[in-house]
Formats: sequence, C-alpha cells, structure tokens
Amino acid sequence: MGSFNKAEQKAPVLFLIITVVVTAVATMATVTFAMGDKPPATASKVSLSPMSAAEPTQPQVKTFAKVANPEIPPLAPLGPPPIPADNPMSDAKVALGKLLYFDPRLGGDASISCATCHEPEQGWSFAEGISRGYPGTVHWRGSQPVLNSAYYNKLFAAGSTPSLESQAPSAARGGVAGNGENDIMEARLRLIPDYVNRFNDVFGEPWPTINNAWKAIAAFERTLVQRDTPLDKYLLGDKTALDDQQLRGKTLYEGKARCILCHNGAFTTNEKYYNIGVPRATRWEEDGLAQVTFRFEQYAKGATEEMYRNIKDDAGLYYRNKNKWSMGKFRVPSLRYTKYTAPFMRQGQFYTLEEVIDFYDRGGFDEEGRTTSFPETKTPLVQKLGLSDEEKEDLLTFIEALSGDEILMDKPKLPPYKPLFTRAELQAAQAAK
Amino acid sequence: MVAIVTTRQCFFAVTLGVSLAIAGQVVAAPEIGPLPVLKVNEARAELGKRLFFDKRVSGDVGISCATCHEPENGYANKDALSKGYPGNKHFRNAPGLINTAHKKVWMHDGRIGTNLNDVTREMITEDYIMNMDMRIMQERFKQDPLYVEMFKAAGLGEPSNGGVRKAIPEYLKTLTSRGASFDKGTMSASAKRGMKIFKGKAGCVACHNGPVFTDGKAYNTGVKENFDVWLDPQRHQAFIAYAAFMGIKNYMNLKRDPGAHLQKHAADGSDMGKFITPSLRELKYTAPYMHNGTSKTLADVVAFYNRGGDNDRNKNARIKPLKLGKAEQKDLVAFLLALSGEPLTSSKHVWQEAYPAEYPVIANWLNVPN
Repeated sequence: MGSFNKAEQKAPVLFLIITVVVTAVATMATVTFAMGDKPPATASKVSLSPMSAAEPTQPQVKTFAKVANPEIPPLAPLGPPPIPADNPMSDAKVALGKLLYFDPRLGGDASISCATCHEPEQGWSFAEGISRGYPGTVHWRGSQPVLNSAYYNKLFAAGSTPSLESQAPSAARGGVAGNGENDIMEARLRLIPDYVNRFNDVFGEPWPTINNAWKAIAAFERTLVQRDTPLDKYLLGDKTALDDQQLRGKTLYEGKARCILCHNGAFTTNEKYYNIGVPRATRWEEDGLAQVTFRFEQYAKGATEEMYRNIKDDAGLYYRNKNKWSMGKFRVPSLRYTKYTAPFMRQGQFYTLEEVIDFYDRGGFDEEGRTTSFPETKTPLVQKLGLSDEEKEDLLTFIEALSGDEILMDKPKLPPYKPLFTRAELQAAQAAK
Repeated sequence: MVAIVTTRQCFFAVTLGVSLAIAGQVVAAPEIGPLPVLKVNEARAELGKRLFFDKRVSGDVGISCATCHEPENGYANKDALSKGYPGNKHFRNAPGLINTAHKKVWMHDGRIGTNLNDVTREMITEDYIMNMDMRIMQERFKQDPLYVEMFKAAGLGEPSNGGVRKAIPEYLKTLTSRGASFDKGTMSASAKRGMKIFKGKAGCVACHNGPVFTDGKAYNTGVKENFDVWLDPQRHQAFIAYAAFMGIKNYMNLKRDPGAHLQKHAADGSDMGKFITPSLRELKYTAPYMHNGTSKTLADVVAFYNRGGDNDRNKNARIKPLKLGKAEQKDLVAFLLALSGEPLTSSKHVWQEAYPAEYPVIANWLNVPN
C-alpha cells in the first residue's frame, strides 16, 4: 500500500504535509493525542501478534503529546492497487473472475454468490446493519464493500485474512456466509464447459481448481477501484474539484475533527485497530436468529467457555490474538466510496454519515449515550470534538468528496452446466466393464 | 464343510449351527429369523424423532433426514437416485432405514462400519447430503425451547452436536420391522415355496442372511450403471466430490460407481463396483432397488439375478444364471414381500407437530448466560 503513496507524492502532497503538521501543532495545545493510540514499538515485530494492536495507555499519550506527529501520511491521490506477484492480472483472468463473482454455484446450495452480499447496487456491500447470511442463517457483521478492497493489507472487519485470494474462500465457505465446500464447488466448475476452457486458458491447467477460482475473483476485485473522486482530482491539481465548503471540511478533517489521525494516506486508513466506542448492535437483543449466529461466532472463533457464556458483543481483534487489549478493536476502514455503503460501522450501528459524525463529535457515544462494551480498550484518540452544526455540515461534504460516481455493473450471463460424457461414451464404458 | 467361505464364516457356521446347500455348494450362513428386540431410551428416541423430521438439521434448512428417507416409502424414497442437498443431487439410491439399527455396516459402499452415531454425523455434515456446520446446528437448537427441554429430559444436557448424534440413532432403533408374515409365521403357500427357493436353488441366503437378511459384506453383482449419475451434472458434481474426497484415482474420467473400492483401493481395480449386501426387509415400500435404483420392481430384481446379473469382469462368482421358472420367480417375490411388515407411518414413528417458523428471541439476553 505504501508503495503508491510514495510513488505519487507530488508537490501538492508535500504542501499538505506541511499543512497537517501545522494544524497538528496548532491543535496540540488543547488536545492530548498527537500519536496517541500507538502500539509498543516492538509490537509489529512480534510474530505472535502480527497485527498492529493498539495499546491506549496514558504514559504513551504523554510521550507522544510532546511532539507533533510527522508520521501521519497525508491524504493523497489513490494510485493503482498493488498486484501480488503470484497472481498477475490479465484481461482473461478478470473476465473469468467477474463471472465467478456473480455465480451462485460457488456456494453451498448454489443459491448465493459473492454478489449476493456484495451487491453492486448496494455499494458492493449489503445495505443492512448485519448482512444477510447463508439461507437459514443471518451473518453477524455488516458486509464489507468490495469496491476498493484491493487496497487493504488485511481483509474482514478485524483483518483476519491477508489477501483477497484468501478472503474469497473464507467468505464462500463460512457457515453463515457461502457455506460451500471446496470439493463440490470445484466439481461444479469442472462441469461447466465455458469455465473449463477459460480456466485452461488463464491458468494452463487441465481442470478448474478452486484455488484458481479465488485467484480469478481476486483479480476481478482488483479492477473494482475508484481513483477519480473529487478529492483525487483536487490533489492532482484541479483546484475546482472541491468547493469552499468541502475545503473547510478538509481542514476540519485534518485538524479539529481528528479524522486524519487514523483515516490518513491515499486510502484514508492507517489499517490499524482501534476501539472507537461503537455500541453493541441492538439486533442481538431482538432477533433469535441473530442470537444463534452470535453464539456460533464465539464458538467458531475460539472463545473460551467462560467467554462464550458471558460475552454480549463482538470482540473484534481479540478473536485473532486472544489479547485482552484487543477487545472490541476493529480495523480502520477507508472512507472512500462511503457515499454508497451505508449503513456504517461493523454491525451497521449508524445509518447515515451524519450519525457517524455526531457519534465522533460526542467522543464515541451514540445519541442515547451508549458506547463500547469494552470501555477499557477505548482509544483516547476519540474525544469530544465540539463541532458546530456548520462544521459538521462542512465535514460531511468533504467526506462525500471521497466518493466519485456510483460504480454499477450488470450481472453477467452465466455459462451453463453440460454433461461431461455422452450417453454413447457411457454405454461404451458399460460394455467394457 | 467346504465352501466359498472364510474361516470367520466357518466360525459362524459352527456357532450358529447352520449349514445350507446352495447351487451344488455347501455354504454356511447365519440363520434368517426374527429380529432381536432393542432396548430403547424413550426420551432420547422422542428427541431423535423430532430431529429426524426437522429441516433445521441441514445447512440451508431446506431438507430433513425424512426428505430422502420418507416414512411412507419405508424410510427410503421413490427416486432411483436420491435428492441430495439443494444445489446438487445425489448419485445413489436412498436406502430404507427400517432395521438400520440392527446393521453392523452402513452405506452402499460400506465406508462406515462403526456405529450410527458416525453415520448420523456423516449425513448431516457431508456437503452433498445435508451440508450442515454442526456448530451452527447446535446453536439453532439451543434457541428452540422445546429442544432445550427434550435434550434435558433425554439426559443429554443442553443441546449439542454430540446429543444429536446420540438421539437420532436412538430413534432409528424404534424403526424396527414388526408384523411381517415371515416373523408371524403366517406366510402364504407361495411365499413358503419362495423361501425354499431363496435358501436353495436361488442361493440368495448366501449373502442375504441373518435376521436383517444381509451379511454386511460387499460384492459385485453386475448391476448396470445408472447413466443419470453422469448425464445430470448436478448428480455428477456430487459424484466427483465424493470420488475425489475418497481418493479414487482418475475420478474425473470415472464412468462407473467404484462402490466399496474405496475401502482397499485394489490397484488392479478388481474391487470396483462392489456394494454392501442390502437388507431384504421392508422391500414392499422401498422400490426402486439396487444401489442406483436401476431395478424398478422386485420382479425386475429376481429377473436380474435369474439371468446371472449383467456384465462386469469383477462380478462375484456366486452370481450365475439361476434357471428359475416363471412360477418360481413369482414365489420368490412372494417370499420377499413376506419380509415386509406394517408401515411405520403413525405418530409413534413420525414427528407430526409443526416446527416453529422462527427462533424465539431469548428475553433479557444481556443478563442471561449464552
């Protein structure tokens, strides 16, 4: 991710860095964060905890409060997504991946595809707080937008997979998602002659394999990017791309509203993990099916017996490292394309960006005063902002400038099954038995 | 006693004191006769009954055990090849489950020779059968107050995977034949003649013996393939998934059902096409027949054996033309029908109450343990 940041740093960006630093210094007198919620310097080198777990301890806050943070990457135009060396792009692969993305035969009962929960018309996600699940189930988190997902180093709300290639099978196989098994999904692909030809063409292997299907889907997803937002245009030199109100919003974003502390860089996320105070989803108190999945997730994610019995919220990063300081932390999402991806937060706790801004303005509380179930890990980065109504409006218009036009896509016509053998071939085999 | 038998069969012959002359050979086989009575834990069986008919046992809540094992069809069904999980279809005939608790080996290919607990697990979790992540199933049942009660009453604690795997086999014990004229001693004259042919000239008893009428062993009897397995891609996909998972070589090019080949994988393929001897009880309800449903009627089955099966180089030497006349074939069918009892279709065996349409919400969720 850092690669294109550096590659595309240009004069306007340098100017921005200066602006940010100046803003940060100016803000320093009244706030105590600057770098705040940073993990110990060694954390990223400890192999047991590969994620950048944040440790919100007061001594750190004091330490970092002394200096402005020169390490906050400025907002920048979004470059092309990184392409892994072991899955190079090609038009044929992308075309295959598109078909597979929309094909429900890559799921347990062949009724839901990737696109079912990551709908182009629903911001490439699913427009309910908690996503629909496999038939007979409901999920337990909101669907993540696939658009721009190519830029993340880790996928899923708590960053549990390291690549699009490994995200796709996790979703297609998960019991409350696709609930498919590799062997039958692979068998299905092999009975679709158009796929056999396409896989052969793209991967040079005699039969489609399920791992190659994930590679093709990942390649397709790497084409689902948006790099021409008003912000991108502005940062590339088109000073008319943002109006005055949006520019005021930008100043707030980079200063008083503190967004830039985490939503920074070209992709508007530092991809670290924080507990910002999002309250528990109320649906778990109201929906029996959601309660079923809630318990299943604890079980499936390796909660202890004690935790399984007692937990009443999504512990996020904790499931990955079982470190109590990770309770309730989630990966900072990009704010790009959020104009189309409501509702927001891991279980869609907020339906509009206005609600999200109000939540931050209150220092991580919803309108009823509710906050995180894990107060001990809540980040000190989130504090009351004291934004006026006008400032909130300005900020909103700027955040909307992180989205360009809606990107839609017609569902492709899917290739049909065909018997692998003719009746004559079967008769010949029978005669030769 | 000379025979085509193993030492173990000789042991049986001695212990059971049975010997029968068949087709010029002397064969020892466990005596056919009434089924032993199984002790049943009523509360556990009742729980198993509710589970057996509950679609929430399958991944997408689309099918229950009873979808393919229908009470009115002897807990088999009328399709030559079974339905399987939605999204695919199955590649074999669903066997009847009456008396399954009396067996020692299960599945047409005999891949499970342990117990019904394991069979239950296989049926529920296999992707082309019920495709259920049992961790989700367990949580579904914890969300159903009646199950919470029934598991407790059955001595199984709170609803669990293990509990399901104990309760369904307990219910299956209740699916035991009753009232067959063979067992009651009320067979017709034709059926009695058929029994003589069964034990004698036709040699059926060589494999179909003991109270369940099966020796639990695998044989190639030369049954033709059912081409629908390959001509319907939804069946073929399940077959491919199965064959790949079982480690069958060259599974993409396979045009025959390997059957019990998966047990020993004979390098020369000589064990291809062997299938476990099925029970002959309750056949009145379980047409069509054979592992792939290729025989529509019992008359077809008898005609099949009478012509010595169909072509297969692996065919067992026991399968030879029988030279039965038409009357003899009729008598044999009459005897087979005398092995069927009363249908097990009343509420004693069938869960008839409705299942809840939704999972009730656990009230005060925040303040009660999960």
